[in-house]
Amino acid sequence: MNLRLMTRLVALVVLLGGCAGQNGEKFSLQNVDVGALVSNIKGLREVGEPEEISVGRGVAETLLGARPLQPDPELQRYVNAVGLWVARQSERPGLPWHFGVSDSDQVNAFATPGGNVIITLGMLRILRNEAELAGVIGHEVGHVVRKHHLNALRKEAFLGMLGQGVTAASQGRRSEKLVQALAGPTKELYARGLDKDDEFEADRVGVVLAARAGYDPWGLPSALQTLAGIKPDSTYLALLLKTHPAPSARLEKLAAAMTDHFDGYTDAPQQAQRFHRMTAGVRQ
Amino acid sequence: MKIGLGALIALLCCAVTPVLAAETGYTLRSTDLKLRPFLDAETLQALPVNTRVDILQRQGAWMRVNSLKQQGWVRMLSVRLGSADQGGQEDGGWLSVFALGKPRSSSPTTATVTTGVRGFSEEELKASTPSPAEFDKLASFAATPDQAAALAAAGALATRQVPYYADNGKPERSAK
Repeated sequence: MNLRLMTRLVALVVLLGGCAGQNGEKFSLQNVDVGALVSNIKGLREVGEPEEISVGRGVAETLLGARPLQPDPELQRYVNAVGLWVARQSERPGLPWHFGVSDSDQVNAFATPGGNVIITLGMLRILRNEAELAGVIGHEVGHVVRKHHLNALRKEAFLGMLGQGVTAASQGRRSEKLVQALAGPTKELYARGLDKDDEFEADRVGVVLAARAGYDPWGLPSALQTLAGIKPDSTYLALLLKTHPAPSARLEKLAAAMTDHFDGYTDAPQQAQRFHRMTAGVRQ
Repeated sequence: MKIGLGALIALLCCAVTPVLAAETGYTLRSTDLKLRPFLDAETLQALPVNTRVDILQRQGAWMRVNSLKQQGWVRMLSVRLGSADQGGQEDGGWLSVFALGKPRSSSPTTATVTTGVRGFSEEELKASTPSPAEFDKLASFAATPDQAAALAAAGALATRQVPYYADNGKPERSAK
Protein backbone atom coordinates (compact mmCIF):
# COMPACT_ATOMS: atom_id res chain seq x y z
CA MET A 1 0.00 0.00 0.00
CA ASN A 2 1.47 3.34 -0.95
CA LEU A 3 1.85 6.24 1.40
CA ARG A 4 -0.78 8.34 -0.34
CA LEU A 5 -3.49 5.73 -0.01
CA MET A 6 -2.49 5.12 3.59
CA THR A 7 -2.77 8.85 4.31
CA ARG A 8 -6.25 8.92 2.83
CA LEU A 9 -7.31 5.89 4.81
CA VAL A 10 -6.09 7.45 8.00
CA ALA A 11 -7.96 10.65 7.15
CA LEU A 12 -11.09 8.64 6.48
CA VAL A 13 -10.72 6.69 9.69
CA VAL A 14 -10.36 9.88 11.67
CA LEU A 15 -13.40 11.43 10.04
CA LEU A 16 -15.55 8.36 10.31
CA GLY A 17 -14.46 8.06 13.88
CA GLY A 18 -15.48 11.62 14.51
CA CYS A 19 -18.87 11.07 12.91
CA ALA A 20 -19.53 7.83 14.68
CA GLY A 21 -18.57 9.50 17.91
CA GLN A 22 -21.23 12.12 17.29
CA ASN A 23 -23.81 9.42 16.96
CA GLY A 24 -22.64 7.79 20.13
CA GLU A 25 -21.48 4.65 18.40
CA LYS A 26 -18.31 2.81 19.19
CA PHE A 27 -15.53 3.34 16.71
CA SER A 28 -11.87 2.83 17.31
CA LEU A 29 -8.81 2.45 15.16
CA GLN A 30 -8.32 -1.09 16.44
CA ASN A 31 -11.64 -2.15 14.97
CA VAL A 32 -10.95 -0.85 11.49
CA ASP A 33 -11.03 -3.37 8.70
CA VAL A 34 -8.76 -1.78 6.11
CA GLY A 35 -10.06 -3.98 3.31
CA ALA A 36 -13.61 -2.93 4.04
CA LEU A 37 -12.56 0.70 4.12
CA VAL A 38 -10.98 0.45 0.68
CA SER A 39 -14.14 -1.02 -0.77
CA ASN A 40 -16.12 1.62 1.09
CA ILE A 41 -14.14 4.33 -0.70
CA LYS A 42 -14.56 2.74 -4.09
CA GLY A 43 -18.21 1.96 -3.58
CA LEU A 44 -19.09 5.26 -2.01
CA ARG A 45 -22.61 6.07 -3.01
CA GLU A 46 -23.42 8.98 -5.26
CA VAL A 47 -23.54 12.28 -3.42
CA GLY A 48 -27.03 13.73 -3.69
CA GLU A 49 -27.65 17.25 -4.94
CA PRO A 50 -28.48 18.81 -1.55
CA GLU A 51 -25.29 17.30 -0.13
CA GLU A 52 -23.33 18.56 -3.13
CA ILE A 53 -24.68 22.06 -2.54
CA SER A 54 -23.65 21.92 1.12
CA VAL A 55 -20.18 20.70 0.17
CA GLY A 56 -19.95 23.45 -2.44
CA ARG A 57 -20.80 26.07 0.11
CA GLY A 58 -18.06 24.79 2.39
CA VAL A 59 -15.50 24.82 -0.41
CA ALA A 60 -16.59 28.30 -1.52
CA GLU A 61 -16.29 29.68 2.02
CA THR A 62 -12.67 28.59 2.10
CA LEU A 63 -11.93 30.03 -1.36
CA LEU A 64 -13.62 33.31 -0.42
CA GLY A 65 -11.74 33.32 2.87
CA ALA A 66 -8.51 33.39 0.87
CA ARG A 67 -9.59 36.49 -1.00
CA PRO A 68 -12.81 38.53 -0.66
CA LEU A 69 -15.10 39.64 -3.47
CA GLN A 70 -14.49 42.79 -5.44
CA PRO A 71 -16.81 45.40 -3.85
CA ASP A 72 -18.68 46.72 -6.96
CA PRO A 73 -22.23 45.26 -6.82
CA GLU A 74 -22.99 46.29 -10.42
CA LEU A 75 -20.03 44.31 -11.70
CA GLN A 76 -21.00 41.32 -9.57
CA ARG A 77 -24.58 41.39 -10.88
CA TYR A 78 -23.40 41.68 -14.48
CA VAL A 79 -21.11 38.65 -14.15
CA ASN A 80 -23.96 36.76 -12.45
CA ALA A 81 -26.34 37.51 -15.34
CA VAL A 82 -23.78 36.36 -17.93
CA GLY A 83 -22.88 33.35 -15.81
CA LEU A 84 -26.44 32.24 -15.23
CA TRP A 85 -27.29 32.64 -18.91
CA VAL A 86 -24.40 30.31 -19.76
CA ALA A 87 -25.11 27.86 -16.91
CA ARG A 88 -28.77 27.58 -17.92
CA GLN A 89 -27.64 26.09 -21.24
CA SER A 90 -26.15 23.16 -19.30
CA GLU A 91 -27.90 20.00 -18.12
CA ARG A 92 -28.04 21.44 -14.59
CA PRO A 93 -29.90 24.74 -15.10
CA GLY A 94 -31.65 24.58 -11.72
CA LEU A 95 -28.61 24.56 -9.43
CA PRO A 96 -28.29 27.61 -7.15
CA TRP A 97 -25.70 29.21 -9.43
CA HIS A 98 -23.56 31.95 -7.89
CA PHE A 99 -20.86 33.86 -9.72
CA GLY A 100 -18.38 36.16 -8.04
CA VAL A 101 -15.50 38.40 -9.01
CA SER A 102 -12.62 37.98 -6.58
CA ASP A 103 -10.61 41.07 -5.66
CA SER A 104 -7.40 39.49 -6.91
CA ASP A 105 -4.84 40.54 -9.50
CA GLN A 106 -4.01 36.91 -10.16
CA VAL A 107 -5.34 35.52 -13.44
CA ASN A 108 -7.52 32.58 -12.44
CA ALA A 109 -11.04 31.20 -12.05
CA PHE A 110 -12.48 28.55 -9.77
CA ALA A 111 -15.58 26.39 -9.53
CA THR A 112 -16.96 24.50 -6.57
CA PRO A 113 -19.47 21.67 -6.46
CA GLY A 114 -23.07 22.83 -6.35
CA GLY A 115 -22.73 25.81 -8.71
CA ASN A 116 -20.34 28.44 -7.27
CA VAL A 117 -17.96 30.07 -9.72
CA ILE A 118 -15.31 32.64 -8.84
CA ILE A 119 -13.35 34.60 -11.42
CA THR A 120 -10.51 36.92 -10.48
CA LEU A 121 -10.23 40.58 -11.42
CA GLY A 122 -6.93 39.68 -13.07
CA MET A 123 -8.76 37.29 -15.38
CA LEU A 124 -11.50 39.84 -16.17
CA ARG A 125 -8.83 42.36 -17.13
CA ILE A 126 -7.21 40.18 -19.79
CA LEU A 127 -10.52 39.30 -21.47
CA ARG A 128 -11.53 41.24 -24.58
CA ASN A 129 -15.27 40.78 -24.65
CA GLU A 130 -18.30 39.05 -23.15
CA ALA A 131 -17.88 36.02 -25.42
CA GLU A 132 -14.47 35.38 -23.83
CA LEU A 133 -16.04 35.81 -20.39
CA ALA A 134 -18.81 33.36 -21.37
CA GLY A 135 -16.16 30.87 -22.51
CA VAL A 136 -14.18 31.12 -19.27
CA ILE A 137 -17.38 30.83 -17.22
CA GLY A 138 -18.49 27.94 -19.44
CA HIS A 139 -15.26 26.12 -18.57
CA GLU A 140 -16.01 26.53 -14.86
CA VAL A 141 -19.65 25.52 -15.31
CA GLY A 142 -18.25 22.45 -17.09
CA HIS A 143 -16.35 21.49 -13.94
CA VAL A 144 -19.60 21.76 -11.97
CA VAL A 145 -21.90 19.84 -14.31
CA ARG A 146 -19.32 17.07 -14.80
CA LYS A 147 -18.74 17.03 -11.01
CA HIS A 148 -14.96 17.21 -11.34
CA HIS A 149 -14.22 18.74 -7.95
CA LEU A 150 -16.88 16.69 -6.20
CA ASN A 151 -15.36 13.49 -7.54
CA ALA A 152 -11.83 14.64 -6.71
CA LEU A 153 -12.95 15.34 -3.15
CA ARG A 154 -14.62 11.94 -2.97
CA LYS A 155 -11.37 10.38 -4.08
CA GLU A 156 -9.77 12.00 -1.08
CA ALA A 157 -12.12 9.77 0.86
CA PHE A 158 -13.13 12.33 3.42
CA LEU A 159 -16.60 12.67 1.95
CA GLY A 160 -17.17 9.29 3.53
CA MET A 161 -18.42 11.40 6.37
CA LEU A 162 -21.40 12.38 4.24
CA GLY A 163 -22.43 8.80 3.94
CA GLN A 164 -21.87 8.36 7.61
CA GLY A 165 -24.30 10.82 8.99
CA VAL A 166 -23.42 14.49 8.78
CA THR A 167 -27.12 15.14 8.65
CA ALA A 168 -27.13 18.90 8.20
CA ALA A 169 -25.24 18.41 4.96
CA SER A 170 -28.04 16.40 3.43
CA GLN A 171 -30.49 19.28 3.82
CA GLY A 172 -28.53 21.69 1.66
CA ARG A 173 -27.88 23.90 4.67
CA ARG A 174 -24.65 25.19 6.12
CA SER A 175 -22.88 22.86 8.51
CA GLU A 176 -20.03 24.30 10.55
CA LYS A 177 -18.63 20.82 11.04
CA LEU A 178 -18.71 20.15 7.31
CA VAL A 179 -17.12 23.51 6.45
CA GLN A 180 -14.29 22.86 8.88
CA ALA A 181 -13.81 19.31 7.64
CA LEU A 182 -13.65 20.58 4.04
CA ALA A 183 -11.17 23.40 4.62
CA GLY A 184 -8.01 21.26 4.52
CA PRO A 185 -8.95 19.10 1.52
CA THR A 186 -10.19 22.22 -0.31
CA LYS A 187 -6.85 23.96 0.13
CA GLU A 188 -5.02 20.86 -1.00
CA LEU A 189 -7.20 20.26 -4.06
CA TYR A 190 -7.28 23.87 -5.27
CA ALA A 191 -3.52 24.25 -4.83
CA ARG A 192 -2.83 20.96 -6.61
CA GLY A 193 -5.48 21.13 -9.33
CA LEU A 194 -7.66 18.57 -11.04
CA ASP A 195 -6.57 15.83 -13.42
CA LYS A 196 -5.52 17.19 -16.82
CA ASP A 197 -8.34 15.32 -18.54
CA ASP A 198 -10.89 17.14 -16.38
CA GLU A 199 -9.45 20.46 -17.58
CA PHE A 200 -9.55 19.39 -21.22
CA GLU A 201 -13.14 18.22 -20.78
CA ALA A 202 -14.15 21.50 -19.12
CA ASP A 203 -12.65 23.37 -22.09
CA ARG A 204 -14.80 21.36 -24.50
CA VAL A 205 -17.92 21.93 -22.40
CA GLY A 206 -17.12 25.65 -22.08
CA VAL A 207 -17.02 26.17 -25.83
CA VAL A 208 -20.33 24.36 -26.33
CA LEU A 209 -22.12 26.23 -23.53
CA ALA A 210 -20.97 29.59 -24.91
CA ALA A 211 -22.20 28.53 -28.36
CA ARG A 212 -25.57 27.39 -26.97
CA ALA A 213 -25.87 30.72 -25.15
CA GLY A 214 -25.57 32.49 -28.50
CA TYR A 215 -22.01 33.80 -28.15
CA ASP A 216 -19.09 33.51 -30.52
CA PRO A 217 -17.82 30.12 -29.30
CA TRP A 218 -14.21 31.07 -30.01
CA GLY A 219 -14.10 33.21 -26.86
CA LEU A 220 -12.51 30.48 -24.75
CA PRO A 221 -9.83 29.58 -27.32
CA SER A 222 -9.15 33.29 -27.67
CA ALA A 223 -8.70 33.66 -23.89
CA LEU A 224 -6.45 30.59 -23.83
CA GLN A 225 -4.42 32.13 -26.60
CA THR A 226 -3.98 35.22 -24.45
CA LEU A 227 -2.77 33.04 -21.57
CA ALA A 228 -0.38 31.23 -23.92
CA GLY A 229 1.07 34.60 -24.89
CA ILE A 230 1.91 35.62 -21.33
CA LYS A 231 5.38 34.76 -20.08
CA PRO A 232 4.90 31.54 -18.13
CA ASP A 233 6.95 32.75 -15.18
CA SER A 234 4.64 35.74 -14.67
CA THR A 235 3.62 36.07 -11.03
CA TYR A 236 0.08 36.72 -12.24
CA LEU A 237 -0.21 33.18 -13.60
CA ALA A 238 1.61 31.19 -10.90
CA LEU A 239 -1.33 29.28 -9.41
CA LEU A 240 -3.22 28.88 -12.70
CA LEU A 241 -0.24 27.34 -14.46
CA LYS A 242 0.53 25.12 -11.48
CA THR A 243 -3.00 23.72 -11.50
CA HIS A 244 -3.76 23.52 -15.24
CA PRO A 245 -2.10 22.04 -18.32
CA ALA A 246 -0.12 24.58 -20.37
CA PRO A 247 -2.46 26.89 -22.34
CA SER A 248 -0.83 25.82 -25.62
CA ALA A 249 -1.57 22.16 -24.82
CA ARG A 250 -5.18 23.07 -23.99
CA LEU A 251 -5.53 24.90 -27.30
CA GLU A 252 -4.20 21.89 -29.19
CA LYS A 253 -6.61 19.49 -27.48
CA LEU A 254 -9.50 21.90 -27.94
CA ALA A 255 -8.75 22.31 -31.64
CA ALA A 256 -8.84 18.52 -32.08
CA ALA A 257 -12.32 18.41 -30.53
CA MET A 258 -13.73 21.52 -32.23
CA THR A 259 -12.48 20.49 -35.70
CA ASP A 260 -14.76 22.35 -38.14
CA HIS A 261 -17.89 22.16 -35.95
CA PHE A 262 -17.61 25.82 -34.98
CA ASP A 263 -16.63 27.35 -38.31
CA GLY A 264 -20.07 28.75 -39.02
CA TYR A 265 -20.15 31.36 -36.29
CA THR A 266 -18.59 34.38 -37.98
CA ASP A 267 -21.60 36.57 -37.11
CA ALA A 268 -22.11 35.42 -33.50
CA PRO A 269 -22.08 38.30 -30.98
CA GLN A 270 -19.01 38.97 -28.84
CA GLN A 271 -20.53 41.91 -26.95
CA ALA A 272 -17.22 43.75 -26.63
CA GLN A 273 -18.79 47.16 -26.00
CA ARG A 274 -21.08 46.00 -23.21
CA PHE A 275 -18.22 44.07 -21.61
CA HIS A 276 -15.94 47.09 -21.65
CA ARG A 277 -18.67 49.36 -20.32
CA MET A 278 -19.48 47.01 -17.45
CA THR A 279 -15.83 46.38 -16.53
CA ALA A 280 -14.50 49.89 -17.10
CA GLY A 281 -14.35 50.59 -13.36
CA VAL A 282 -11.90 47.77 -12.68
CA ARG A 283 -9.65 48.46 -15.64
CA GLN A 284 -8.34 51.70 -14.17
CA MET B 1 15.94 52.06 -14.10
CA LYS B 2 13.57 53.36 -11.51
CA ILE B 3 9.94 54.12 -12.38
CA GLY B 4 7.77 56.18 -10.06
CA LEU B 5 4.46 54.85 -8.77
CA GLY B 6 2.47 57.32 -10.84
CA ALA B 7 4.23 56.34 -14.02
CA LEU B 8 3.74 52.72 -13.13
CA ILE B 9 0.02 53.15 -12.61
CA ALA B 10 -0.21 55.00 -15.91
CA LEU B 11 1.63 52.18 -17.60
CA LEU B 12 -0.69 49.58 -16.06
CA CYS B 13 -3.71 51.55 -17.23
CA CYS B 14 -2.35 51.63 -20.75
CA ALA B 15 -1.68 47.94 -20.54
CA VAL B 16 -5.27 47.02 -19.76
CA THR B 17 -6.94 49.47 -22.11
CA PRO B 18 -8.32 47.51 -25.04
CA VAL B 19 -6.14 49.03 -27.70
CA LEU B 20 -6.32 45.78 -29.56
CA ALA B 21 -4.73 47.13 -32.68
CA ALA B 22 -1.49 47.03 -30.73
CA GLU B 23 -1.67 43.26 -30.44
CA THR B 24 0.86 41.36 -32.44
CA GLY B 25 1.34 37.69 -33.06
CA TYR B 26 3.33 35.26 -35.15
CA THR B 27 2.20 32.40 -37.32
CA LEU B 28 2.61 29.04 -35.59
CA ARG B 29 2.77 27.26 -38.93
CA SER B 30 2.56 28.27 -42.57
CA THR B 31 -0.95 29.50 -43.13
CA ASP B 32 -3.00 31.20 -45.83
CA LEU B 33 -3.94 34.86 -45.63
CA LYS B 34 -7.52 34.91 -46.93
CA LEU B 35 -9.59 37.71 -48.44
CA ARG B 36 -12.57 36.71 -46.27
CA PRO B 37 -13.01 34.62 -43.10
CA PHE B 38 -13.94 31.39 -44.88
CA LEU B 39 -11.86 28.34 -45.79
CA ASP B 40 -12.95 28.52 -49.44
CA ALA B 41 -12.30 32.26 -49.74
CA GLU B 42 -9.64 33.58 -52.09
CA THR B 43 -6.08 33.17 -50.79
CA LEU B 44 -4.14 36.44 -50.88
CA GLN B 45 -0.81 34.84 -50.04
CA ALA B 46 0.72 32.05 -48.01
CA LEU B 47 2.34 33.26 -44.79
CA PRO B 48 5.43 31.26 -43.81
CA VAL B 49 5.84 30.04 -40.24
CA ASN B 50 6.83 32.74 -37.73
CA THR B 51 5.53 35.62 -39.86
CA ARG B 52 4.53 38.67 -37.86
CA VAL B 53 0.82 39.57 -37.91
CA ASP B 54 -0.73 42.74 -36.49
CA ILE B 55 -4.12 41.74 -35.16
CA LEU B 56 -7.03 44.06 -35.99
CA GLN B 57 -10.08 42.00 -35.16
CA ARG B 58 -11.30 38.56 -34.09
CA GLN B 59 -14.43 36.93 -35.44
CA GLY B 60 -15.32 33.28 -34.96
CA ALA B 61 -12.38 31.06 -35.90
CA TRP B 62 -10.64 33.92 -37.69
CA MET B 63 -8.46 36.95 -37.09
CA ARG B 64 -8.29 39.95 -39.38
CA VAL B 65 -4.63 40.92 -39.60
CA ASN B 66 -2.08 43.06 -41.34
CA SER B 67 0.82 40.96 -42.48
CA LEU B 68 3.50 41.34 -45.14
CA LYS B 69 1.85 44.60 -46.20
CA GLN B 70 -1.50 42.98 -46.88
CA GLN B 71 -4.71 42.89 -44.90
CA GLY B 72 -6.71 39.69 -44.69
CA TRP B 73 -7.95 36.85 -42.51
CA VAL B 74 -6.02 33.98 -40.92
CA ARG B 75 -7.20 31.12 -38.71
CA MET B 76 -6.99 32.15 -35.07
CA LEU B 77 -5.38 28.86 -34.09
CA SER B 78 -2.58 29.36 -36.61
CA VAL B 79 -1.36 32.36 -34.63
CA ARG B 80 0.34 32.73 -31.29
CA LEU B 81 0.54 35.98 -29.41
CA GLY B 82 3.79 37.35 -28.13
CA SER B 83 7.28 37.81 -29.38
CA ALA B 84 9.18 36.33 -32.29
CA ASP B 85 11.32 34.16 -30.01
CA GLN B 86 8.23 32.33 -28.65
CA GLY B 87 9.10 33.59 -25.21
CA GLY B 88 5.75 35.17 -24.49
CA GLN B 89 4.67 38.78 -24.61
CA GLU B 90 7.41 41.39 -24.50
CA ASP B 91 7.16 44.67 -22.66
CA GLY B 92 5.25 47.26 -24.62
CA GLY B 93 2.40 45.08 -25.81
CA TRP B 94 -1.04 45.52 -24.31
CA LEU B 95 -0.15 42.66 -21.96
CA SER B 96 2.94 44.38 -20.65
CA VAL B 97 1.40 44.28 -17.19
CA PHE B 98 2.35 40.62 -17.06
CA ALA B 99 5.89 41.13 -18.21
CA LEU B 100 6.19 43.77 -15.51
CA GLY B 101 4.95 41.34 -12.94
CA LYS B 102 7.71 38.89 -13.69
CA PRO B 103 10.23 38.66 -10.85
CA ARG B 104 13.14 38.58 -13.24
CA SER B 105 15.66 40.68 -11.40
CA SER B 106 16.30 42.28 -8.06
CA SER B 107 15.67 45.77 -9.38
CA PRO B 108 13.48 47.95 -7.14
CA THR B 109 10.90 48.34 -9.91
CA THR B 110 10.29 44.65 -10.23
CA ALA B 111 10.17 44.15 -6.49
CA THR B 112 7.53 46.85 -6.14
CA VAL B 113 5.35 45.37 -8.84
CA THR B 114 5.72 41.81 -7.64
CA THR B 115 4.56 42.63 -4.15
CA GLY B 116 1.68 44.52 -5.77
CA VAL B 117 0.17 41.31 -7.16
CA ARG B 118 -2.68 40.83 -4.78
CA GLY B 119 -4.60 37.77 -4.05
CA PHE B 120 -5.15 34.10 -4.60
CA SER B 121 -1.60 32.97 -4.38
CA GLU B 122 -1.09 29.46 -3.10
CA GLU B 123 0.06 30.98 0.19
CA GLU B 124 -3.17 32.96 0.60
CA LEU B 125 -5.23 29.90 -0.21
CA LYS B 126 -3.42 27.81 2.39
CA ALA B 127 -3.84 30.53 5.01
CA SER B 128 -7.57 30.93 4.39
CA THR B 129 -10.15 30.89 7.15
CA PRO B 130 -13.60 29.95 5.78
CA SER B 131 -15.81 33.03 5.47
CA PRO B 132 -19.56 32.44 5.78
CA ALA B 133 -20.18 36.19 5.51
CA GLU B 134 -18.40 36.39 2.16
CA PHE B 135 -20.43 33.44 0.90
CA ASP B 136 -23.67 35.20 1.88
CA LYS B 137 -22.44 38.23 -0.07
CA LEU B 138 -21.73 36.00 -3.08
CA ALA B 139 -25.25 34.59 -2.89
CA SER B 140 -26.79 38.06 -2.56
CA PHE B 141 -25.64 38.98 -6.08
CA ALA B 142 -27.25 35.94 -7.74
CA ALA B 143 -29.21 36.65 -10.90
CA THR B 144 -32.70 35.34 -11.60
CA PRO B 145 -33.43 33.43 -14.81
CA ASP B 146 -35.45 36.45 -15.99
CA GLN B 147 -32.47 38.77 -15.46
CA ALA B 148 -30.21 36.40 -17.37
CA ALA B 149 -32.72 36.21 -20.21
CA ALA B 150 -33.05 40.00 -20.29
CA LEU B 151 -29.28 40.38 -20.58
CA ALA B 152 -29.27 37.84 -23.40
CA ALA B 153 -32.11 39.59 -25.24
CA ALA B 154 -30.42 42.98 -24.93
CA GLY B 155 -27.25 41.43 -26.35
CA ALA B 156 -28.97 39.69 -29.29
CA LEU B 157 -27.93 36.33 -27.86
CA ALA B 158 -30.14 33.62 -29.34
CA THR B 159 -29.81 30.09 -27.97
CA ARG B 160 -28.70 27.31 -30.29
CA GLN B 161 -28.81 23.54 -30.15
CA VAL B 162 -25.20 22.36 -30.00
CA PRO B 163 -24.08 18.88 -28.87
CA TYR B 164 -21.08 18.27 -26.67
CA TYR B 165 -18.06 16.95 -28.52
CA ALA B 166 -15.62 14.30 -27.32
CA ASP B 167 -11.86 14.82 -27.54
CA ASN B 168 -11.80 13.23 -31.00
CA GLY B 169 -14.35 15.70 -32.36
CA LYS B 170 -17.26 13.25 -32.44
CA PRO B 171 -20.53 14.26 -30.76
CA GLU B 172 -20.97 12.78 -27.30
CA ARG B 173 -23.81 10.30 -27.26
CA SER B 174 -25.42 11.92 -24.25
CA ALA B 175 -24.52 14.26 -21.45
CA LYS B 176 -23.00 12.38 -18.57
